[in-house]
Amino acid sequence: MPALRYVRASLPLALLLVLPAATKADSGRGVDVAFDNALLQGRAAAGSSGDPRGTSWLRPGQRRSPAGLLYVCPLQPPSLADLAGWEYAAHLQLGWTGAFGDDGNALWNRYVRWDSGLVLGLLEVALRRPEDGSYASLRASRISSDNAFFDAAFGRAGSYKVQAFLRELPNGISDSARPIWSGIGSNVLTLLPELAPGASSSAEVAAVVAGASPQQLQVVRSKSGLGLDAWLTPRWIAHAKISEEQRSGARPFGGAFFYNFLFPGNAGVLETLRPVEDSTIALEAGLRYAGERWRADFAYDASFYRDRYRRLRFESPFALSPTRPGATSAPVYQGQFALEPDNDYHHVRAGLTRRLPWNGEFHVTAAAGRMSQDDGLIAPIDCSGTFGVDIDGSGVPSAANPLLHNCADWNTPAALSRDSADLRIDTYSFDSRLVLQPLPALQVRGGVRFHREDYRNAYLAYNPITGDYGYITENGAQASIQAGALGTWNPLTAASAITRVRSIPFDLQTQGANLGADWRLGERRSLGLQLDTQRDEPSNRERRRVDKDSLKLNYVDRSIDWLTLRANYTGFKQQGDRYVPNPYDFAYSSSLPGFVAPADGVPAFTVDALRKYDLADRREHKLDFSATIALADTANLSAGVRGDWNDYGAEIGRQAYDRSGVNLQWEWQPSPATQASVYVAADRARLVLANVADVEFGPDGSLGGPDYPDSARWWVFDKQRNRSAGIRIDHDFGRFRLDAGWNLVDARGITAYRFASPAALAYFADGLAGVREGRFPAMRYRVDSVNLGISLPLTPRFSLRVFDLFERGRVDDWHYLGLEAAQVIDHRVYSVGAPRGYAANLIGLLLDVRL
Amino acid sequence: MKRLYAIALLLASPFAAAGEFVDLRDAPAVGGDAAAGSAKVMVCVACHGPSGNAVVPAFPALAGQHAGYLYQSLAGFRRRADPASPMTAQVQTLSDQDLRDIAAYFAAQRRTAPIATATANAPGARLFRDGDPVRGIVPCQGCHGLDAQGHPQRMQAARYDYYPALAGQQSDYLVARLRHYRDSALADTSNARIMQGIAHNLDDTAIVDLAAWLATTPR
Repeated sequence: MPALRYVRASLPLALLLVLPAATKADSGRGVDVAFDNALLQGRAAAGSSGDPRGTSWLRPGQRRSPAGLLYVCPLQPPSLADLAGWEYAAHLQLGWTGAFGDDGNALWNRYVRWDSGLVLGLLEVALRRPEDGSYASLRASRISSDNAFFDAAFGRAGSYKVQAFLRELPNGISDSARPIWSGIGSNVLTLLPELAPGASSSAEVAAVVAGASPQQLQVVRSKSGLGLDAWLTPRWIAHAKISEEQRSGARPFGGAFFYNFLFPGNAGVLETLRPVEDSTIALEAGLRYAGERWRADFAYDASFYRDRYRRLRFESPFALSPTRPGATSAPVYQGQFALEPDNDYHHVRAGLTRRLPWNGEFHVTAAAGRMSQDDGLIAPIDCSGTFGVDIDGSGVPSAANPLLHNCADWNTPAALSRDSADLRIDTYSFDSRLVLQPLPALQVRGGVRFHREDYRNAYLAYNPITGDYGYITENGAQASIQAGALGTWNPLTAASAITRVRSIPFDLQTQGANLGADWRLGERRSLGLQLDTQRDEPSNRERRRVDKDSLKLNYVDRSIDWLTLRANYTGFKQQGDRYVPNPYDFAYSSSLPGFVAPADGVPAFTVDALRKYDLADRREHKLDFSATIALADTANLSAGVRGDWNDYGAEIGRQAYDRSGVNLQWEWQPSPATQASVYVAADRARLVLANVADVEFGPDGSLGGPDYPDSARWWVFDKQRNRSAGIRIDHDFGRFRLDAGWNLVDARGITAYRFASPAALAYFADGLAGVREGRFPAMRYRVDSVNLGISLPLTPRFSLRVFDLFERGRVDDWHYLGLEAAQVIDHRVYSVGAPRGYAANLIGLLLDVRL
Repeated sequence: MKRLYAIALLLASPFAAAGEFVDLRDAPAVGGDAAAGSAKVMVCVACHGPSGNAVVPAFPALAGQHAGYLYQSLAGFRRRADPASPMTAQVQTLSDQDLRDIAAYFAAQRRTAPIATATANAPGARLFRDGDPVRGIVPCQGCHGLDAQGHPQRMQAARYDYYPALAGQQSDYLVARLRHYRDSALADTSNARIMQGIAHNLDDTAIVDLAAWLATTPR
């Protein structure tokens, strides 16, 4: 795949490019990538075992955190060798892995790419020079060509640290793609030679899909970076970091040529495969000061997103035909999508903290940011010749043939109101807080905050060539099927068309305050209270003011030596001013001068009773309890119960969203040689939605009225149930160490529905014979895995690890029902088949050498 | 300098590392017999002064020191058997019970108070009380008590009897001991491991300041 070659070639280059910046950079805060992989899974080298000396020299048997949780037994430190004034430890783990069974399955390869062959389990080198605190380290691992990492650092304690890293991680998306185009991974999808653009039948397309070999789709993320921390003085620390993340691959996407389900044998709904070829460069730099009374933090963050492609072009195999008798459709088969625009982000922040009497602290932060994009805009349509409906058979747009349009009027940026996006969002934030401890057993705190987002500039969709406002719909397909339906408004030719003509600036101002206190009720009991209020003032939303108030209570009790109890409660209330169902009129053609209302009036934007869930009157109650029980000195039992209930007070819209869960975990560490744990967890979620279909495009938005009658109401009840469980044991027998585990993830979701009458359904081809409720087949995702490993020290320098991982997955998704039989249904083409279950086994043999 | 060199000889040198590591995190009370110990300290008082109140600055004061710390110090000299240390010969013929009795004896003696000239604002006092975050120095009082009389919890757990009282100790001895923790690779007890990490960031000025203040703080 060319895209992958591009990534692999660019990674070393990217690292070289960032090297010159090293002299200016820092990452005192470390890097943002976890350098681990499915092979390591946090495991130490084969020869490592627990250190019986424990975690601290201060007291014996310090096995638990203050909350009563068992600490993991630390590993034996590596034995250090001398090398010209340096101490070093290094080991290399090299070996072979083999994958068997359904090892090509996409779910098995979801975030890992197992290949059979040689692997670098881990190369780890650490050097340090006690004389001056200098150090250097290197970690590297490679499972397969797209799954590897490299992390290196050097520095001197208290002086500076330089860190560089490189990581490649695959994301397997599908193993059953059968696209009808060539050019997958690029931004130009050309129909395979067996198919003619705009002139193929459904059967011909189906034959091509049936004859195609399944392809694998994946997106590989490659991230490289360099950071520097510099201790300018013991109190001043400078840090900087630069990183680049590249994504490369392809994933399923859309391709619209109007609604095929409304127009059988016509239109086209295509599942294209879009490229993912982009790069994000992130910069961070800052300066921190830590004094006895003052602390300061000054930081600058930036990111620069660059997409390799500006648009995706694709061809449709199907012809379009007009609904108007006796006319013909123009040959429209070239589609396009705009891809993500290049964009820049800058953010500066300054924070100051002052120590106060009463063990207090005052903190203030001010920040400002800017997000901008000014990408060149693509033309509204990618056709040549004409589009629309030819009613006089001339094939030439004219006054006598007004429903046929010249592509030239729309297929260049000259058809836009400006050449580039020129859009920007500016943000400003201010945050302050005060903490005081007026009594030994009482801490009080309070704060105020302010945040503002200002949208700068807006886009007006206007074609100066034709005088139209709005945008051509569905690549011109709608106008080529429904004569005259371009999707645009024109004061002369379509004065009553209602269409979106303007971008909507969602400016937002938020201000809030909080007040809280923590009381120590006894030696080992505490009670906390926090009150918070926030006012959001959004622009161009259904409400101009939204108030959010919450109360949080928490209680911690450790008064019994062997028990830690925690209880938390949050009560939340959201309400606001008058709810306006349509604040967006200014963005539609109905607001333009010259607009002529339709004879039946301007259709209601939506039903008046709708309450969008982010602005609805919401009440929430959230509770959680947890207990950690110390069983003797070597074991823990932890249990938790939690619930979260939300009532949205909406007649139409989201009505309820409730979640609850329990978990139980047992951990046992009888000695540094043995660790074991067992856990089970279960949770449930319930989502209730209510809606109503618009049976008429009329001006009455009232629920129960002629346009939104009660007979068109429908409801969805979504229930999700998840279970997980696991057992793990790790024991050092002396001559060898054994680790074994079993894990289960089982998720099941059911979507049920109810509707008042068939009027509620947008598409009703099948007779329902009086049925008014039902449910879709269960969605299910279940993975069982068993792993077993043996680590065998051979000599003080050599050890061997043998492991086996067996995994079985099952997935049921009703969205794909029927696609096993046919991925082409009329003019609907599905490139990717249903995800499949699998049973796969991975074995490995790794030799660990202490260098 | 010669005086400090002499003290250094008394302490275990890195090359004397021998014997096993001693974990004091759960050490029991020493349980010696002070009366029996009084008959075994004739050699000791020759250098450490009557009742352990040393007058020669090179030798540590033993009077009023905690029994756990004294016992473990004596046991360390015997365990390491460092030929360069003059203490090696003194302890080789003593039994474990002798060491316990001697420790109990000196712990029961009263430290003759030095001239109390310590001031709360002295650099050593501030280091002992607050540490110095900038230099990475932790406050000593966490383990040796706000008044430098020993670990604050020494009455609650026997293991804290192995943390020494520092008030009224000989200044030269403290300087040598802290430098030893800082510069020597040897740490054959768990408490020495703690001190190794803490002394790592002590420069010579900090050590002298601490020792000067502790020596003039009443025991």
